[in-house]
Amino acid sequence: MTSSKTREAVVDRRDQYAFHDDIAYLRETKRGLTRDTVEEISGFKNEPDWMLQSRLRAYDHFLKRPMPMWTDGLDKIDFDKIVYYRKPSEREEKSWDDVPEQIKATFEKLGIPEAERKFLAGVGAQYDSEVVYHSVREELAKIGVVFMGTDQGLKEYPELFRKFYGTVVPHEDNKFSALNGAVWSGGSFVYVPKGVEVPLPLQAYFRINGENTGQFERTLIVVDEGAKVHYIEGCTAPIYATDSLHVAVVEVIALAGSKVRYTTIQNWSNDVYNLVTKRAHAHANSTVEWIDANTGSRKTVKFPSIYLRGENSSADIISVAVAGRGQHQDTGAKAIHLAKNTTSRIVSKSVSKDGGRATYRGQLKVSPGATGVVASVRCDALMLDDESRSDTYPYIDIQEDDTTMTHEATVGKISQDQIFYLMSRGLTENEAQNLVIQGFLEVFTKELPMEYAIEFNRLVKLEMEGSLG
Amino acid sequence: MTSTSTPSEAVPASNTEPARPARTPRRAPADLPFRFADRGLAQALAAERSEPDWLRDERLAAWQAFEALPVESNQLYTPYVDLRGAILDEVRPWVRTASGPDAANSGELPEGVDGLIELREDQVVALALSPAASAAGVILETFGTALDRDPDGFRADVEGGATLPADDKLAQLARGFWSQGVSLVVPDHVHLAHPILVRWGSGNPERALITRTIVRLGTGADLTLVEEQVPSGADIECAEGEIVPQGFFHGTTEVVLGADARLAVAAIQDLGPRQIVFQHRTSQIGEGASLHWALAQLGSRLVRSRVDNRLEGDRSSVEQAEIVFGGEEQVFDLTSYTRHLGRDTTGNLLSKGALLDRARSYMKGLITIEKSAVGTDSFLGEFGMNLSRATRAVAIPSLEIDQPDCRRAAHSSSVGPIDPAQLFYLESRGIPPDEARKFIVLGFLEPVVARVPLEAAQERLRELLEEKWAAGSDGTAGSAGAAA
Repeated sequence: MTSSKTREAVVDRRDQYAFHDDIAYLRETKRGLTRDTVEEISGFKNEPDWMLQSRLRAYDHFLKRPMPMWTDGLDKIDFDKIVYYRKPSEREEKSWDDVPEQIKATFEKLGIPEAERKFLAGVGAQYDSEVVYHSVREELAKIGVVFMGTDQGLKEYPELFRKFYGTVVPHEDNKFSALNGAVWSGGSFVYVPKGVEVPLPLQAYFRINGENTGQFERTLIVVDEGAKVHYIEGCTAPIYATDSLHVAVVEVIALAGSKVRYTTIQNWSNDVYNLVTKRAHAHANSTVEWIDANTGSRKTVKFPSIYLRGENSSADIISVAVAGRGQHQDTGAKAIHLAKNTTSRIVSKSVSKDGGRATYRGQLKVSPGATGVVASVRCDALMLDDESRSDTYPYIDIQEDDTTMTHEATVGKISQDQIFYLMSRGLTENEAQNLVIQGFLEVFTKELPMEYAIEFNRLVKLEMEGSLG
Repeated sequence: MTSTSTPSEAVPASNTEPARPARTPRRAPADLPFRFADRGLAQALAAERSEPDWLRDERLAAWQAFEALPVESNQLYTPYVDLRGAILDEVRPWVRTASGPDAANSGELPEGVDGLIELREDQVVALALSPAASAAGVILETFGTALDRDPDGFRADVEGGATLPADDKLAQLARGFWSQGVSLVVPDHVHLAHPILVRWGSGNPERALITRTIVRLGTGADLTLVEEQVPSGADIECAEGEIVPQGFFHGTTEVVLGADARLAVAAIQDLGPRQIVFQHRTSQIGEGASLHWALAQLGSRLVRSRVDNRLEGDRSSVEQAEIVFGGEEQVFDLTSYTRHLGRDTTGNLLSKGALLDRARSYMKGLITIEKSAVGTDSFLGEFGMNLSRATRAVAIPSLEIDQPDCRRAAHSSSVGPIDPAQLFYLESRGIPPDEARKFIVLGFLEPVVARVPLEAAQERLRELLEEKWAAGSDGTAGSAGAAA
C-alpha cells in the first residue's frame, strides 16, 4: 500500500469531477412546478393517458403532503426555482459515434468508454434529464435482457412497465416519491428474463448539468424467477453555488429465486439536495443486496429498503456515508420482514469531519406471522474532529416471539495508536489517517468491482484532503 | 356511568345501529385521554388550597406550556406513541388534600428503614423519620408543609418548573396540576444507614392523582430511596360485561445531587390493571456525584414514563436499570434521555422487557454527548424477550454525538425468544420445561431485582414477578421458541 505507485494512483483529480459544459438545451420547462408543468412534460414525451393521469395524481399528493419534519433543512428547498424538465438532444443515441461532441467530452472525462471497453456489459448514461447514450452488448440482447431508458421502456414494453410501475414505491409513500411520480424523466428500465444470469454488471452514470436543474430519474428493475443481475450507478456533478435538487425513485422487484445487487456511489456536488426513495420487494427464496455509498451532496436523505415478502428471502444492506464541511448525510437502511424464515443484515459505516453531520436512521421490522426471522444491524461511526456530529437512530419493531435480532452501534474517533504505528512506518499523518479510514470502510469497498473500488477510495481521499491541519 | 337513558321503544330499530354501550369517539394514538387540565383547574387548585400568588402563576404558566405542547415533542418518536388504551374522560383530579399527619414521627416506622412517607389518594397515611435521620437534619415532608415551613426555599425549589423538561406536555401537567407532593432533603455529608421509603397508593376509579417528589442531596450526602406505587384498595370486582372506569396516577421524581453525593433509587410500580400511569424522573447530577436507578414496571393498563438524566458535573455518573414484565393488554411506553455535559462522565443504561399475551413495549432511549463532554463513557442497552406470538417490542436506542473524544459511545439491542440452548441445558439437569422457562425469564429480569436495597421490597418484587409468570404462562407463553 505504501509503494510510490499507489500514491500516484491517488493524486488529486478534483478537477476531473467538477466541470460544467454550456449546452444549448433544446427543450425545457419553465422554472417552478404547476399542473401545466406536469402536463407539459407528459406531452413532450407523448405518453399514454394512464401515465399522465398517474403523474397528476402524484402532483396532487405532492401538494397535499406536508414537508417531513424529522430531518432538518428541507424547508430551504425552493421548489419554484427548479427547472423540472430539460432535454439536451432530440433523440436517444444508439451508437457512441452519434453522441454530440460536447456531451461526449463530458463522458470522456468520466471515463465511460474506457470502463466499457474493460468489462462493463452496458452503459446508460444520463446527461440531465434524458438518456442520451445507450448501448447494450449484443450478448445481452440475445439472452433477452432489457436495459434501456425508462421513457423508452414505457414505450417499448408498455404492459410489463405498467404491471410493475409504482407497485414498490407508490406516489403516496412520501412527499418526494410523489414529486418524482409527477415529474420523473429518465432513469433505467431493466428486465431480466426467467433463469438468466447477467454475467457482467449493468452500469448507468447519472449526471446533473445546469444550474438549478432538478433531476428526477425513475428506475424500475424487474428480475424474473431464478435470474441474477448486478446493477451499478455512480454519480458525479459539476459544482454550483445555488441549490440543486435530485429526487429519484428506484423500484426493484426480485421475483422468486432471483438475486439482485444494486450498487451506488453517490458523489453529487455539495450544493445538491439528494432525496431518494429506494425500495425492493424480495419474493420467495430471493436475495436482494443494496450496496450504497454517499460521499457528496449537501444533504442526502436515503434509506435503501427491502421488503421481505416471500419465505426464505434474504436482504443485505451495506450503507456508507462520508460527511464533510456543510454536509448532512441522513442515510441508513430498512429491512421489513413480512414472511417466514427471512433474514436480513444491515451494516452501516459513517465518517464525519470538518463540521459535517452523519446520521444513521434505520428500521428493522418483523410483522406478525413472520416467524423464524434472523436479523442483525451493525452501525459504526468515526468522527474525525469535535466540530462534527454523528447521530444514530435505529428503529426496531418486533411483533413475533421467535425472532432473533441483534443490534450494535459504536461511535468514536480514530485510534491514535493506529496513526502512531503507521507513522512510525514512514507514512505522513494524512496518509495514515487515509489508510485507517479506508480500512474502516473496507466492508463496503470489498463488495465493489475493482475499478469502482479504486475510484471510491480516490473519492474518499479527496474528501479527506486537508482535514488535518 | 350515566344515569339517563332513552326508552328503548323511542329508537326505531330499522335504520339505526343496534343499541350499544355509549362509546367514546375514536381518538388518534397520541390524543390525550382526558380533558380536566384547564385554566379553571389550575386556578381552583391555587384558590382552594390558599396558595400564594407566585404558585398560582406557576400553575398557570405550566398550564399554558401544557396547552401549547404536543404529547410527543420529539420528532424521532411521534410514530411510537399509543395512548388509546387509556379512557379517562370522566376522571376528576384531587384538588384539596385531606388533613393527615404532617409532622414527623406519626405512624409506625418499619424495621430497616430510616424514613417513611405513605400517601393514599388525597391523604397522607404515614410519615415518620428515624431518630438518627431527624438528628442528622434530614427533612421529609409534604409540599404543603414545606410551603408553610420555608416559603422561600420551597419557591426556589419549584418555581419555573425546576428540573422538569420544559418541552414535555405531561411533565408540564405535573408542574401545573399536582395536588400532592413530597420533599426530601438530605444535608451535606449525611449518610443514612437505611433506606427511606416513599409509597404512593392510587387506584380509585375516575380519580386522577397528580403528584411530585423532589429529592435533594447535599455535598457528599448518601441515600438509598425506595419508591413504590401500589393499589390503594382491593381489586374492584365487577359483573361480567360491566366496565369499571380507569383511574389515573401521575408522578414525578425530581432529583438534584450535590457534589460527590450518592443516591440509589429502587422503584416498583405495581398498580392495578385499570390504572393509567404517567411518570417523569429527572436528575441533575453534580461533580463527582453518582445516581443509580433500578426501576421495575409491572402493573397498570398503560404506562408512559420518561427519565431525564443530566450529567452536569465532571466525573458524574448515572446507572439505570429498568425492567418491564408485561402481560394481557398492557402497554409500556418508556423513554429515557441521558445528556452528558461534564468531562469524564459515565452513563450506563440497561432496559429489559419480557412480554406475555398481547403486551406491548416501546423502549426509546437517547444518549446525547455535548461538545463539552470530553472523555464520556456511555452505553445504552435495550433487550427484549417476546414470550407470546401477539406481543410487540419496539426498541429505539439512539445516539447524538458532538464530541468524539470519548472513552465509549455505544448501544446495543436484541430481541429474541428464550434461548433453546439454555432451555436444553436446564432440562438436561432434570428441571421440567415450565420451570426452566420460568428460571430463564426471571433470570433475565434479575439485574433490577438484585438492586432493590430493601429486603422486604425485594422479596415482594420477586413474588410479583412469579405471580405474573404464573398468570401468563398457562397458554403458549414462552413455549413458541422451544416448540419451533
